[in-house]
Amino acid sequence: MKEDFEKRRKERLDRGIKVRSDGLYALMSWRELCYLVLPRLVLIVGMLILPLVMPSMYWQRVISNVCIYALLALSFDFLAHFVGLVSLGGAFFIGIGGYIAAILNTSFGLPPLLTIPLATIIGASFCTLLLLPCLPLRGVYFAIITLMYPLLLARVIEALDILGGTDGILGVESFLNRWMEQYVIIMMVLLFLFGVRRLVIKDIGLVFRAVKDNDQAVRASGISITYYKTIAVFIASAMGCLGGAYMVHLYMWAGLSMFALDFSILPIAATVIGGSGTLVGPVLGAFILVPISELLRAFGTLRIVFYALILLAFIIFRSEGILVYSQRKYQQFEKWVKV
Amino acid sequence: MEILIYGTINSVSLALFSLGFAMVYGVSRLPNFAHGSLYVLSGFITWTLLNSLGLNYAVSIILAMIATGIIGALIYQFVLIRVRGMEISEIMASYAIGLAILEGLRWGGFKGMTYTLPSFIEGSTEIAGIPVDYQRLLVVGIGAAVVAFLWLFTHYTRIGLALRGMAQDERAAMMLGIDSDLMALAAMGFGSMLAALAAILLLPLGNIVVEAGYNVLILAIAVCIVGGLGSWMGAVIAAFLIGFAQILTVVYLGAHYQMVVALLAIILTLILKPSGLFGRQKELEERV
Amino acid sequence: MKGKAIRGFMIFLFAVLLILPAKFASAETPIIIGSPLSTAYLYGWDAERAINLAVAEINASGGVNVGGEKRPFKVEVIDTRDLEPGVPVSEALLAVEKLILDKKADFIIGGPVRSEAALAAMPLLSKYKKVSILTTGVLTPKYHALVAKEYDKYKYCFRIHGEAKNLVGEMFANFTDLKEKYGFNNLFIIAQDVSHARGAAKVMKAVAEKKGWNVTGVEIYPTGATDFSMGLLKAKKTQSEIINIWMDMPESAILLKQWYEMKIPALPFGSTLAAAEQPGFWEATEGKGEYTLCNVVNAGNAPSEATPWTMKFYDAYTKMWGVEPEGLGTSSSYMAVYVLRDAIERAGSLDPDKVVAELEKTDIMGVYGRLRFDPKSHQVIPATDPQKGAVGSILQWQDGKRVVVYPKSIATGSIQLPPWMKK
Repeated sequence: MKEDFEKRRKERLDRGIKVRSDGLYALMSWRELCYLVLPRLVLIVGMLILPLVMPSMYWQRVISNVCIYALLALSFDFLAHFVGLVSLGGAFFIGIGGYIAAILNTSFGLPPLLTIPLATIIGASFCTLLLLPCLPLRGVYFAIITLMYPLLLARVIEALDILGGTDGILGVESFLNRWMEQYVIIMMVLLFLFGVRRLVIKDIGLVFRAVKDNDQAVRASGISITYYKTIAVFIASAMGCLGGAYMVHLYMWAGLSMFALDFSILPIAATVIGGSGTLVGPVLGAFILVPISELLRAFGTLRIVFYALILLAFIIFRSEGILVYSQRKYQQFEKWVKV
Repeated sequence: MEILIYGTINSVSLALFSLGFAMVYGVSRLPNFAHGSLYVLSGFITWTLLNSLGLNYAVSIILAMIATGIIGALIYQFVLIRVRGMEISEIMASYAIGLAILEGLRWGGFKGMTYTLPSFIEGSTEIAGIPVDYQRLLVVGIGAAVVAFLWLFTHYTRIGLALRGMAQDERAAMMLGIDSDLMALAAMGFGSMLAALAAILLLPLGNIVVEAGYNVLILAIAVCIVGGLGSWMGAVIAAFLIGFAQILTVVYLGAHYQMVVALLAIILTLILKPSGLFGRQKELEERV
Repeated sequence: MKGKAIRGFMIFLFAVLLILPAKFASAETPIIIGSPLSTAYLYGWDAERAINLAVAEINASGGVNVGGEKRPFKVEVIDTRDLEPGVPVSEALLAVEKLILDKKADFIIGGPVRSEAALAAMPLLSKYKKVSILTTGVLTPKYHALVAKEYDKYKYCFRIHGEAKNLVGEMFANFTDLKEKYGFNNLFIIAQDVSHARGAAKVMKAVAEKKGWNVTGVEIYPTGATDFSMGLLKAKKTQSEIINIWMDMPESAILLKQWYEMKIPALPFGSTLAAAEQPGFWEATEGKGEYTLCNVVNAGNAPSEATPWTMKFYDAYTKMWGVEPEGLGTSSSYMAVYVLRDAIERAGSLDPDKVVAELEKTDIMGVYGRLRFDPKSHQVIPATDPQKGAVGSILQWQDGKRVVVYPKSIATGSIQLPPWMKK
């Protein structure tokens, strides 16, 4: 009995249908096409009909929140697993994007449709500029600086009492139409999700991944690492700033608490739970975490404890994340084989 | 004159709660983000032992320190050991534990501002015309004793030398037969006990609240970065630097900017000399 | 055979359970009061407890008479965590929305507690047309100024506790007394680095200078600062006689302990000094908090005989919760529920616009005096005489007890100086 047990190993084989759908052969039959398209279709269609099936306006608001966090989680995953930069400061991007959108709206009177794209671009440039000093460094420094920046900026705004100080900027316009409110953000999430997935397959994505794996090799090839890191940070902060600008128009208010630690932690948790390395995983993670967090609201402070414990359990036991796990199940099957 | 006295007190306080963090990072390169929560936890354990169980103060202190040390070791043994080596996971796992402990305390009813520990010695005295209370003088005294003790411990006892060896070069230490996991466990245990000691010395000055956990964590990280992650002496010296900088800011600029000083110190260090004052990372390895 | 029986029974039970609540629900639908509060903090649980006390009392006496039908109140509290430093205000707003949309709250009483969250929630409340009575936290004058400015949009927002301007006025009444009695003239201000404290400090400085006081210094301490020695020494060096403290962070206990130990010859006079408002303060500071003065915004939060109802409420609260009323929002939250009941009964319905109209006509003798709202700004009207309006309370810790020293109409003691200050 015991010997039997010791002499076995788990063998993973690709499913037949996966093998057949790799490459050009996928076009040969409807079944293979479906196999490939199904997950993506479910995702897109699911996200698009979500606002329609939500039972009440409250849950629609939750969906918007989920999408904001999904954007943040996406940017975190992109930076952490495709460029090797761990960004602990999602709050930083949200805060900057939010404040810029609020200022554009209240001081310059631009409508939301204009402020959001403008805030995204201006915000991304601003964030990249501020993060420039630590881009030539490796290791854990990027993480620490991105962690500290939101706290520092919050203090500075508080201390100098600019941009509305601790009261924040009130009276930001909302969207004209409730449906537009919902769909703008969902379209943005989908756009960025598939956009970034495309990006990492291209040449530039290759350089990014090389920076993560072996930056000396990149340097040896004569490519400037700092330049590519800057581009990556720009893209990631654009996503964060978009989320921030959107949130400001959703809640009609911008303030200091946009630099809150919650915005930094939840994307990381979503990535861990959803599956790091795949860009869809964090989005999935956000979809799971935020509603659970809302449902648990009834428990008061205990909610955070549960939250932390779930996160812990995932890190220790299922650190690959839900999506990677399910991808594995979808594409391969396992069986015990005698050695 | 008062700058000197209160600057020293402030610096020693900072050093006390950064040493625990520095020790754990130095020995096993584990950023222990649960440090702040262990600080607060030990405070509440002492309070419970003292008030609900009615034990003697000294006994409560010793029990709380041992309990916190054990909790730290348990955290290592059951959680952190599984994620060792993966930096992001280490940070997140320890942060999650810290969060769970702090929020759990808050849920468990430890909210409000009415929890406190009694001082060891009541009363105050005057040094060069400046009133200082005995508890703060005790903090400086014991703080200095702790630093001295740590120095002796890591230079003259077997375990201390083993810890130092691990901190310097892990592989060489393993080749000499020092068990890396055991040493990391010991480091976590000691680090947690240091956090508990800091809590016991500093909490009687005010009250025990859950928010202190987050503040302590940020300050400990700030001090350790400036001093160089992994260097104990660096942490102490950085504590003095930041401590005096804070007091000087209060006197000459305004109390407003205290926290900004700490954060600025980090940013400056990272830009100018990322490995901190006494850090062990080589410059060449850092810049890309 | 057995399996089938069990399954049948389960289905029957399930059906019964489904139908039963529906039956009960139609009997007396409760009026739902939504309370978005930061329940882990003093300024959240003070309101929570008082609201629960009031609701229990009203339900025990039969409930609210809505156009002939007696309906009970039901309280739904959601923890907004908005007093926690790292939490975004959007959480509080989400909590308010959850109360309105998901829990179907009819009225909002209590929070959100943080000023910025309350200000940000105003457009939400006007969007959903929900009447809200703020009862704790939020001291900013901006709140009722906004209501007055855009009355039609924000008319659903009311506030039943005193705000910062009242507090400043009350403090200065006391300062002037001290000036006359002891010749004090030097004022030192310590404030926490948050919006309301900083704003208050600025206002205090301006008013003080106008009244001829010498402001010897203003120190703003960031949240989480643990050492106040420099500030206290500065106060001593400049011979300040009163230290005005605006600090609701827990570290204020460190400040007061240090004050006592360093024997600074200045009277600590605080407002929103959360640590000192709790009965447990005495033990928490081992008696070193003696002589601390703090402003608890409305009577009833400290023992006094403002109206016959004051001590009735005080004792009922102590009996229900095992601790005396503490914090700023206790008496106001209690009265808010009663005021709401009064308005609903006079309006005869739950329609928000009708209730708003009746709330504006409120005129009750409550726990802290005669309660009336200003019809334009929906702020409760303050006074120093309980017969005329809502009274505040300033208390001083004397010998382990909280003694109300102001206003004179309800004071049970007078301000005492610490022994090292006696001239």
